[in-house]
Amino acid sequence: MVASSPARSDELAGEKVYRQKCASCHGAAGEGTPEDFPRPLAGDKSIPQLAHLIAKTMPSDDPGTCVGEDADKVAAFIYNAFYSKAAQARQKPPRIELSRLTVRQYRNSVTDLIETFQPPARWDDQRGLKAEYFKTRRFRDESRVVERIDGEVHFDYKLSSPDPAKIDPKEFSIRWRGSVLVPETGEYEFVVRTENSARLWVNDLKRPLIDASVKSGKDTEYRGTIRLLGGRPYAIRLEYFKGKDGVEDSKEKKAKAQVEPGSISLEWKLPQQSVEVIPRRNLSPVSFPETFVLDTPLPPDDRSVGYERGTTVSKAWDQATTDAAIEVACYVTAHLRDLAGVADNASDRKAKLRDFTLRFAERAFRRPLTDDLKQRYVDRHFADGRDPELAVKRAVMLVLKSPRFLYREINEGQSDSYDIASRISFGLWDSLPDRALLDAAKAGQLLTREQVARQAERMMPDLRTHAKVREFFLQWLRVEQVPDISKDPKLYPGFDKAIVSDLRTSLDLFLNDVIWSESADFRQILLADTLYLNGRLAKFYGADLPPDAPFKKVSREPRDRAGVLSHPYLMATFAYTATSSPIHRGVFVSRSVLGRSLRPPPEAIAPLAPDLHAGLSTRERVTLQTKPTVCMSCHGMINPLGFGMESFDAVGRFRKVEQGRAIDASGSYEAPSGEVTKYAGARELAGLLAASEETHSAFIEQLFHNVVKQPIRAYGPYELAELRSSFVANGFHIRKLMVEIVASTALVPRDAGRKVADRATSGGQVDRFRSPGVFSEN
Amino acid sequence: MAQGSTRRDFFRDLGIGAAALPFLLNLPSLGFANQAARKKRLVVMFSPNGIVPKTFWPDDEGDKFALKESLKPLEPFRDRSLILKGVCDKVRGDGDNHMRGMGCLLTGVELFPGNIQGGSDTPAGWASGLSIDQEIKNRLQARPETKTRFGSLEFGVMVPDRADTWTRMVYAGPNKPLAPIDDPYQMFAKLYGQSKDRETLKSILDDVQDDLKKVSSKISVEDRQLLDEHATFVREMEQELKESGNAKIGHPVPEIEPGVKEENDNIPRISKMQIDLMVHSFAADFARVATMQYTNSVGGARMRWLGVNEGHHELSHNPDSDEKSQEKLTKINKWYCEQLAYMAKRLAETPEPGGGGSLLDNTMIVWTNELGKGNSHTLEDIPFVLVGNGLDFKMGRSIKYPKLPHNRLLLSLAEGMGHPIKRFGNPNFCGDGPLPKLT
Repeated sequence: MVASSPARSDELAGEKVYRQKCASCHGAAGEGTPEDFPRPLAGDKSIPQLAHLIAKTMPSDDPGTCVGEDADKVAAFIYNAFYSKAAQARQKPPRIELSRLTVRQYRNSVTDLIETFQPPARWDDQRGLKAEYFKTRRFRDESRVVERIDGEVHFDYKLSSPDPAKIDPKEFSIRWRGSVLVPETGEYEFVVRTENSARLWVNDLKRPLIDASVKSGKDTEYRGTIRLLGGRPYAIRLEYFKGKDGVEDSKEKKAKAQVEPGSISLEWKLPQQSVEVIPRRNLSPVSFPETFVLDTPLPPDDRSVGYERGTTVSKAWDQATTDAAIEVACYVTAHLRDLAGVADNASDRKAKLRDFTLRFAERAFRRPLTDDLKQRYVDRHFADGRDPELAVKRAVMLVLKSPRFLYREINEGQSDSYDIASRISFGLWDSLPDRALLDAAKAGQLLTREQVARQAERMMPDLRTHAKVREFFLQWLRVEQVPDISKDPKLYPGFDKAIVSDLRTSLDLFLNDVIWSESADFRQILLADTLYLNGRLAKFYGADLPPDAPFKKVSREPRDRAGVLSHPYLMATFAYTATSSPIHRGVFVSRSVLGRSLRPPPEAIAPLAPDLHAGLSTRERVTLQTKPTVCMSCHGMINPLGFGMESFDAVGRFRKVEQGRAIDASGSYEAPSGEVTKYAGARELAGLLAASEETHSAFIEQLFHNVVKQPIRAYGPYELAELRSSFVANGFHIRKLMVEIVASTALVPRDAGRKVADRATSGGQVDRFRSPGVFSEN
Repeated sequence: MAQGSTRRDFFRDLGIGAAALPFLLNLPSLGFANQAARKKRLVVMFSPNGIVPKTFWPDDEGDKFALKESLKPLEPFRDRSLILKGVCDKVRGDGDNHMRGMGCLLTGVELFPGNIQGGSDTPAGWASGLSIDQEIKNRLQARPETKTRFGSLEFGVMVPDRADTWTRMVYAGPNKPLAPIDDPYQMFAKLYGQSKDRETLKSILDDVQDDLKKVSSKISVEDRQLLDEHATFVREMEQELKESGNAKIGHPVPEIEPGVKEENDNIPRISKMQIDLMVHSFAADFARVATMQYTNSVGGARMRWLGVNEGHHELSHNPDSDEKSQEKLTKINKWYCEQLAYMAKRLAETPEPGGGGSLLDNTMIVWTNELGKGNSHTLEDIPFVLVGNGLDFKMGRSIKYPKLPHNRLLLSLAEGMGHPIKRFGNPNFCGDGPLPKLT
């Protein structure tokens, strides 16, 4: 902001040169001109980098005439006047914009809204399902012979029984109950495999998802699909029957009957992954109440700025939210007995339904209702002697179509503690505040940063935070859409769907391990030399595990691993079907890890075909293709970062040679200061990145945007720097960073953001609106 | 295998998924698009446990036959009825006769081996093929000129809440039984939920506008733009709803009696409600194929309203010499025949929308059973009583066949519905194709 005077005079000189030589093409304020250079001059190169580029390439009709000091001065001027992010921010001050709920927030909100009216349940440390074994084909208390917890349901009894001493293999039955935790949102396919008969319920315990109680023909595999919302446990019940159903056989006939083989397996297919036995870590013997999951599809949010935000509306969105309101209203009226706790023939039914509707509206609007709103949203619908059930339906539809539900912070008048409660819960959960938060708001206990931080810490272990963080990391790693990473089967035999599915799980387990460990050290994401492998992966990647081993953290194995930078899932994602792709890997490091913005290539370019350049290594081919100056302005950064992972082939297997030639995994990293550091191999690259301030800032900024869904610069020009210093002070603790982000933004009302920006542009002193006195500028 | 439809299917059926689109697509217009060929409809009505031959089958063949006690209610429709004797379910294999009688009735094909044990024979599973109504429905749905909103509707009355070989006669494919909807309120929601919800939606949009305005006035100019845009969409939706409200609707949403519980003594009321809904759904051209399943194979309805206190199935096991039981069974079958007659009457008095005549002129009802006779469990002489003029059959007759397999009747139904096929179910029972003498 405040430049020293020599620098200032340099800039003035630079401005003069710019006006003379550059403005005719780039526009007076770098905005560009339609004919010559329509793109605005904005980006994230440093002043030395810019100077270098100018000296080499500018003016484009006569390069080499703006060099040395001139180039440096022009670069400094451009940088500070409009090129840098800070300059951009000054030009167009970001503000906290009015936003509707994003798709994710909408889905979570309606689910939690309905869950308010269900009995609470807690996902505790017990894993597996509660199992009851009966020595008859029907579940009768007196024939229950075994009760225990089963980690997974995957049994092949053959001609025997689960407990030959107590159970006759000809006829028995088993019931498993509990919940299944679903990691991500999407269509889940549940699969029951049995040679006998079975029924499976998921979420809705009244209607089976799979009814295979009639064994018919040769079928031994039964499937049912259900849409589930990630980060939540769903009730599950599996009933298994061995023996015939229908008319009971006589004793003699029974004695003569042969033993048939028996088996049962409970499996699932995560969205776009392979079928697997539902792992123990996703099962709990605690049964959860039914969860409402919205079926209506909603149009995707705008992600053009790198994170989902709700700052636009469309006709499709209005229609979708209408459909959704109807869907919720139908669900609510169909489940009134459970949700409102009122019997169909209760004498006080109307009063109870009115109370229910009021609570529903308050929860949806995240605040108590004023008398006026009570009248508008609740009482009016119950007033004329109409069917109270229809009144509920109308009111629910109206509440969900109301701007007070659909938008964040839209109440009339001043922002208050209830807004703060919402900022915290949408920040951590993308959902409505829970009871405790609303109580704190009511009691005036959300007024200080410390109070907010305490709430955030309380809410951190919640499964909804897990789901949100997980989704953020998968986005950050650019794999949230589950990429198709199938490879050339001739070159990579055995790299099948099951391996790909396991790799995603392996990445998931690794991230989970770092994020939820005590130190939660962000740097470990880049530095860890461990890899989660199961038997199948171990065989493929050459580690020493038994073939049926469950996932296990394997240290320094296979070799040279550096966290996500060398994780085979990412290595395979950032690769072609036959060869690695240093460019994709370099782009990933540049964009995600370093947070740099890259323009797309000036024209669509197909990679050079390996077989046409048989003598070249992948690295050499890439170098050859990106040699032109026009390429090097970006590839000068991308390639030296991407080459560091050349020790990993297209499936992420460690290699020392490629087609008989030694791998060269050396490269360089140029910091924003212009300082260039050379490195060799993924581990050294990871070390450089993990220690780089640029990496830390990029991570903070991306996490901030995911949490808050508003531009970080709307919170003042010092927000990022402050978060960075606390991130460093806290040992790069990821969860503490989230708490800090929430604590530093939850107390900022929408209008205050604008005031800061106004002051910033008016050229006056910038101060911190939220903690006056903490920061003093000299 | 039996698979409950998901809630998404439910909403898709309701048409809610496109709550804004439907206003452009007035439901009736779908069905009236093509008036060139006449509409044809098929209803299969099922009642269980066989009949009493001596009070059921007419003595004479041809058009001069007298209706006996069990079929007396058909008197007003005598000229529009066709009574087929000598049609036999020849499908054998796993399962007892009640199971095969049900599972092979409309599929004409064997049951899979399975784990459901009947009163005799080997245990069995589901049928190994689809049923004729679904075969016809698939054909109709595949053509734009015969496609309707649902294609087929599966009604039931007091069907037990368990899925097994005795409770399912409609199959979408091998091992894919379809459950009938025996709750009239559920059927009502499936047919009309959408229109009801649209009305409710219409009634709240003004309030939404009001509050948008109110909220909008309190926020900054920049933010207001977003809400203004939102308000425009709400206005547009209101306009579209209004326009669709003015369009002609084929028929008003029917009123149904509220609060009728699903219990044995309510069977007559439920039956009437379901028949009324079926007739309404035909008038709206929601479907061209329907089934109406009373209870289930071995169904044990207690028709106390007829003075019969025993369950239907147990009575049906009593010997022919037990006159009292024979009388009661005749009463029971006569009651089912009354339901058939009521259905025919409602169809006959409802005009065919967009064309001359009545719904019955274009509808064929086939009343059938899983057994010929209850106490013998025979699959010979399965009762097939046809009413209506939907299929160009020559009506007003009684025909006796020399024990022909019922697969051939299934072929006749398909052919009559404009879907001539050579084989259906087990090809060994398809002989020379459709039954002779029908047209």
